[in-house]
Amino acid sequence: MSAPRDLRDTIARDLRPVKPLRSPTMRALALLPLAAAIVFAVPALRFFRSDMQTLGVVRGWGFSYAQAVAGTVIVALALRESIPGRALSRAVLGWTIAAGLTLPALLLMLTASTFDLGPAPGRALSEGIGCFRASAEGAVPALVVAALLVARAFPLRPGVAGALYGLGCGLIADAGLRLYCEYTAPPHVAFAHGGAILGAMFAGVLMAKISAPRR
Amino acid sequence: MPPGAKKQREPAPAGPDQAERELCALMEGYLDGRLEAFDGLYAALSGRLRGYLLSQCRDPALADDLLQDTFLQMHRSRRTYEPGRPVTPWIFAIARHVFLMKRRSTGRRLRFEERLAAEAVSGDVPRDDVKVLAERDEMRRALDQVPADQREALLLHHVQGWSFAEIAARLGIRVNAAKTRAFRGMKKMKGHLK
Repeated sequence: MSAPRDLRDTIARDLRPVKPLRSPTMRALALLPLAAAIVFAVPALRFFRSDMQTLGVVRGWGFSYAQAVAGTVIVALALRESIPGRALSRAVLGWTIAAGLTLPALLLMLTASTFDLGPAPGRALSEGIGCFRASAEGAVPALVVAALLVARAFPLRPGVAGALYGLGCGLIADAGLRLYCEYTAPPHVAFAHGGAILGAMFAGVLMAKISAPRR
Repeated sequence: MPPGAKKQREPAPAGPDQAERELCALMEGYLDGRLEAFDGLYAALSGRLRGYLLSQCRDPALADDLLQDTFLQMHRSRRTYEPGRPVTPWIFAIARHVFLMKRRSTGRRLRFEERLAAEAVSGDVPRDDVKVLAERDEMRRALDQVPADQREALLLHHVQGWSFAEIAARLGIRVNAAKTRAFRGMKKMKGHLK
């Protein structure tokens, strides 16, 4: 069967050599230097937590960079999701989101000795907003880069791709936040830190839906 | 086999893997900008894709339009194909997306037009004219029997007075397809009115 003349003419008019996109992993690697910079910048632009010495290099910088790498891997999954025919299964999606949301809590449990260190009475809201803002500001550059990378592909489920890269970017920013905020009280960690990650996820969904090409 | 003779390697039979390898080679040629590669891809995939699209929409004319849209979409997003990977899942995912987008946009448009039609009817029909109302009701029932895409073309042309070129541009189909849809829709509606 040969192509109809009008279709063939349209293709012929526009046909030129194109360079295929790199693999999702390679494109996600482009985000890694930015992720490293965000992890450093979030505390460096404010201050480092007072117990950095006690925490040590591995449990401080090591765990934070491990979390940033995990965030980058989730962005790579979002890039894979954005390629037709390579959509992630529900199980992989579910496990990825569950693992992404659990990781910061797991790292907190590995590093905290007590879980009662929270803001002073009457300062819970302002401190919470401070942490949320620090995390959100850290996530913005990564979100913009990830959104551009995804938009260059062809996400058939932009909402899913956006949720994934939002989660990844939220984790990257939270990796910096944990070097800045030493509070371990569950309400603060859940609402300010976890809320910021969920906020980044939601922002990713919105950005992906808005930037999805209307084809 | 005589002793000492080496066993000749037989050529692998042409199976699904071989067909997929050929598609990969064609796709790479297409990425290099070769029109013959596009022709080869069309020849190899259009039959299966049309069958798939027909199974989804159950309308041969619409399946033909969707097939063209799928190849246009494939052309626009060809850089997302990763060389060496199977072509079939990639292009079938695009075809599915094209079908879902079409279904969504048709549903939206129909809801909008039905609302407009309902508003127009409620605004300009004399309420005491029972006969006119009955005729309109009969007409609407007949119209409801017409497939959605044909009804759309029919309403746009015969009710709203659009030219076929305008309908074709709006629906993203060929002029002939717009004419066919309106003609078939009218024929079906007349059949239901008899």
